[in-house]
Amino acid sequence: MTATLGEALGAVRDARRPGAAGRRPRRGAPRQRLTRRGRQEAGWFWLFISPWVIGFLAFLLGPMIASVWYSLTDWDSFTAPEFVGLDNYVRALTEDPIFWKALWNTLYYAAVSVPLGMAIGLYLANLLNKQVRFRKLWRTLIYLPTLVPLVATAMVFKMVLAPSGPLNDLLGVFGISGPQWLLDPNWVKPALVVLSVWGAGGATVLLLSAMNGIPREFYEAAEIDGAGPVRQFWAITFPQITPVLFFNLVMGLIGAFQIFSQVYILTGGGPNNSSQTVVPLLFREAFEFYHFGYASAIAWLLFVVIIGFTAIAFGTSRKWVFYETEVR
Amino acid sequence: MAATSQLPGLSSTGPGLAGAAASTGGEPRGRVPAPILRAFRARPSTYAVLLVVSALLFTPFVLMVSIALSSDRTTAAGAFTILPGEWNWQNFVDVFTTDLPTGRFLLNSVIIATFSALGQVLSSSLVGYAFARLRAPGKNAVFVVVIATMMIPAQITMIPQFVLFKELGWVNTFLPLIVPNFFTNAFNVFLVRQFVTRLSNEIDEAAQVDGLGYFGIYRRMILPMLTPVLIAIGIFTLTATWGDFMGPLIYLNNEEDMPLALGLQYMTSTTNDLQTPPWNLVMVGSIVLTLPMIAVYYLGQKYLYEMNLNGGSAGVK
Repeated sequence: MTATLGEALGAVRDARRPGAAGRRPRRGAPRQRLTRRGRQEAGWFWLFISPWVIGFLAFLLGPMIASVWYSLTDWDSFTAPEFVGLDNYVRALTEDPIFWKALWNTLYYAAVSVPLGMAIGLYLANLLNKQVRFRKLWRTLIYLPTLVPLVATAMVFKMVLAPSGPLNDLLGVFGISGPQWLLDPNWVKPALVVLSVWGAGGATVLLLSAMNGIPREFYEAAEIDGAGPVRQFWAITFPQITPVLFFNLVMGLIGAFQIFSQVYILTGGGPNNSSQTVVPLLFREAFEFYHFGYASAIAWLLFVVIIGFTAIAFGTSRKWVFYETEVR
Repeated sequence: MAATSQLPGLSSTGPGLAGAAASTGGEPRGRVPAPILRAFRARPSTYAVLLVVSALLFTPFVLMVSIALSSDRTTAAGAFTILPGEWNWQNFVDVFTTDLPTGRFLLNSVIIATFSALGQVLSSSLVGYAFARLRAPGKNAVFVVVIATMMIPAQITMIPQFVLFKELGWVNTFLPLIVPNFFTNAFNVFLVRQFVTRLSNEIDEAAQVDGLGYFGIYRRMILPMLTPVLIAIGIFTLTATWGDFMGPLIYLNNEEDMPLALGLQYMTSTTNDLQTPPWNLVMVGSIVLTLPMIAVYYLGQKYLYEMNLNGGSAGVK
């Protein structure tokens, strides 16, 4: 998917350039005929892309405009919406302590789970990049958790994280008496992080394929220069795979900000809103309390947060993402 | 790479199998195996870490099976063990005969996932082909819009879409979950477009000379060659809709309409406070929910790798 992200950006660049690739030469054809045929071809183009156009208007652009309007109204979906200006936004930002708590919890979750998942994924990828026996088996075992649907994951982790569950049993072996995890306001967020780390293998597989693309000569040269494995990792492997890490960072952040099923199923936001995050809060406001206006405002605030953090990630990428070679 | 394989002073130590070397260094067959560089040398500690990590990651699966095989009495007491101590295979039958329609849940999941995948495959191939091959004024601007739509989070459109589908009377039907898939999405359009762009133009031109129209070229020439990318799109859509929880939660309120992902949550929430949920049956359900995803991944792995899209996050999003 990393190559694809790069291609997506490249495709936009190509599309902007006049006379872009993908055009067929049309020299020699008489002008008049060409326009008629050209018009016909354009007609077919719009016909072919009509599914996207209809979907875009009906399920994206239309709803987006409606969402802006809803967010400026007080609407319970049964009576007529009442225009209230920016009240919903003001309420979320200044009057609703649960919104701030949910936003803080979401930031905490994103800030801990994404880097931790990346670090573990990277560490495992580097281990598997060595010449280990049964590599395919290890890779499968590490990747397997990412294939489990979230609902099933949540069900299992409800048991794993039970006060007398296997995780606390394991901690007990080391003489640590484990916390109540999902029932303890201080430990419920780390519990969600534990669940997310179980899927760190998704990053491992991506990083491993990026590591396979690093030219062997780099390591041979470093070897002659007397660099040890750790030095080689930081001087060669890490810079070469920063584009994949960057991709993982951006996609991971976007996904983490939208966390829903785990919270909804495992904690319902509790205890005492200590694990409430933005999307479950939005869901509750919209589909349990029917505050469509307020929920729409929360959706736009979340959008601003996501765009903001994505922009920050892109802004810092110049400093640490290595794009000088063709390696992606 | 092969040219630099002989370095003085480095001998092949450790598990220097030629096959293993080929997988890391890209060594062609029949050559002398490259010496293992220090960065790639596996130590006993490497295996120790891999063993511990794999065991930790695998424990939830073992626990899942162990609970699934527990008796009702053990379940009520909550006295589960990590390793299976009981072997109540009957649970795998019972889950379909309880008062909750688990068989129906499964059927609903199959219907929703199949039609969604079908919709994405059909629509994305049409739209992607047009963006790759047909010329029209404004096409490039439209494509920029397509790419830009990838940045809009689903939460923005969730509420207005609900209002729309409610007006249409589609709540408590599968339609809100299936129909949008027939209008494609940006990522799949993009995948098909990239794939078609890499195909040779000559096929189209030859077909055009033979009198095929644009739809004929798409149907007879392009579509058969799109198999790998369409299988990949089918797998993405299957895994996404199969595991989808929020969509069914919003639109499906009746027990008999629920897909398995929602049905499992429903199983744990319907029991009153005095009763423990039937965790053994819930775990059987979780296994039933998980196995098709593992099967689909392994059957389709080849195509996913071909698309250079391995390692998408099917589970954790």
